[in-house]
Amino acid sequence: MNRLQKLPRLTLLCSLLLVGLSAPLGAAEKAPQGLHLRIGTILASNESEDFDPKLSRMKNQLEVIKYSSYRLIKEEVQKVQWRVNAVFEVPGGRSLVILPQEYRNQRLALKVRLLQGDKPLVDTTVRLRNRGYFLLGGPAHEGGVLILSIFAMTP
Amino acid sequence: MTMDCESVRRTLGAWLDGEVSEKESREIRAHVEACPSCRAERSRLERLQFVLRAALKEGASKVTFESFWHGIERRISQGRVRHREFWDWLRPVILPRRLAWAIPVTVVCVLAVLFAEQFFFGLGWGPRSNVAAVESIDGHGFNLALLRESETKTTVIWLFEDEEEDEPAPEAASTDASL
Amino acid sequence: MEPSDWELVRKCQTGDVGAFQELAAKYYQKVFMVILGILNHREDALEIAQETFYRAFRKIREFRGGSTFYTWLYRIAVNQCIDFQRRQRRAPAEVREAIDELLYERGEHGTDPYDALEGKEVMSRLLAALNDLTPDHKAVIVLRAVEGLSYKEISEILGCSEGTVMSRLHYARKKLQEKLAHFL
Repeated sequence: MNRLQKLPRLTLLCSLLLVGLSAPLGAAEKAPQGLHLRIGTILASNESEDFDPKLSRMKNQLEVIKYSSYRLIKEEVQKVQWRVNAVFEVPGGRSLVILPQEYRNQRLALKVRLLQGDKPLVDTTVRLRNRGYFLLGGPAHEGGVLILSIFAMTP
Repeated sequence: MTMDCESVRRTLGAWLDGEVSEKESREIRAHVEACPSCRAERSRLERLQFVLRAALKEGASKVTFESFWHGIERRISQGRVRHREFWDWLRPVILPRRLAWAIPVTVVCVLAVLFAEQFFFGLGWGPRSNVAAVESIDGHGFNLALLRESETKTTVIWLFEDEEEDEPAPEAASTDASL
Repeated sequence: MEPSDWELVRKCQTGDVGAFQELAAKYYQKVFMVILGILNHREDALEIAQETFYRAFRKIREFRGGSTFYTWLYRIAVNQCIDFQRRQRRAPAEVREAIDELLYERGEHGTDPYDALEGKEVMSRLLAALNDLTPDHKAVIVLRAVEGLSYKEISEILGCSEGTVMSRLHYARKKLQEKLAHFL
């Protein structure tokens, strides 16, 4: 097989590699219109050993926290704009306020505040990957504790 | 100690499965032999097990091993053919007699190094990990803990609302000192 | 592990397809029964059962004998069922992706009016009732029914505690009994 016959294969392989490397660059510069926030409210306790099947994907992450049962109480989705507060109701007279700040290098910066009535409990700024999530837990509720899973993605 | 019907029914399944202690087994057996209602419950459980197994066995009995193996054999052959075809296709590019590929591959590697941040952001492998960087945090007088689950590096922020309560502290599978 | 299984596995690890065929002949029916119980669809179960053995063949060199061969095989089978059901239920709306796992289609499965035999009707209703359970509950009850596996073995296959196996079995049996109250 001569060099000419090898060329299309070589060209194809190199082109694919180049496209693969440059695609994230192109995507990073384009600011998306708003984002989707999904907040899952999970009740963790030691009162039983039931694991809500709706939480199967997070099983490993939740088992880090070492409660014996986990139940998804509710789930709320909001589409929000940048630099506009999104408020989510949390059981026990609490609320979660999220302010999406910016999107850079495929990372979303969120300012997150958990309140008990008007009193702030936690204020944090978190930078997470697009379509990523983190967990915020600890508030007591009905014999267990609440864990909020905060998931964000651009449309 | 004699067991009541409610306790027996909770463990009847485990007893029939042979998964209780000898002591408990004796107590359950004594109760079942004396209690018509629990005896009936035992019969129902046994019948359920029997019918389930029979139903699945009946469903499976129609499949002969020859036809089943034929399907597996086909997958094995296809897997080997695909594997060979792929390497036959790639081999001339990566193992040429001359190093004609060296220049484009070098260019690609240089680009990969220059733009590595796109793939390796923070700790772990960027797109595949769930690392969330906590840039600032304030517990407003409450104690906080930052944990990171070891497999996907998911970040967990934990608030200790009231330390005087008996709520057990969460144990992390692994904690990341860099937090 | 039975010596004969281990000997066959060692032969498979050297590339002996005949040895793998012997293992497949020994376990194919039980694996198929378990998958049929979880998926409740014969053609899908057949496809997934064959895929299970194919994957076992490809990964046989990784098997070190830490568990019995059949628990290792059942673990592959259960994971294949879970992956299959996930692929089937994936919703186009991406906002549901991270937390919500599986939405179960709850439909009533009617019996075939031409099934004159009472036994067949019970079996048919039982499989329909089984289908209403979650995959986790289906897996424990089917593994117990088909293979008589211990709670320890089931917990190894499913990656959960023995306590969880016991509570899921109790729940699943209770649900099935409720649905089949008149038939059992």
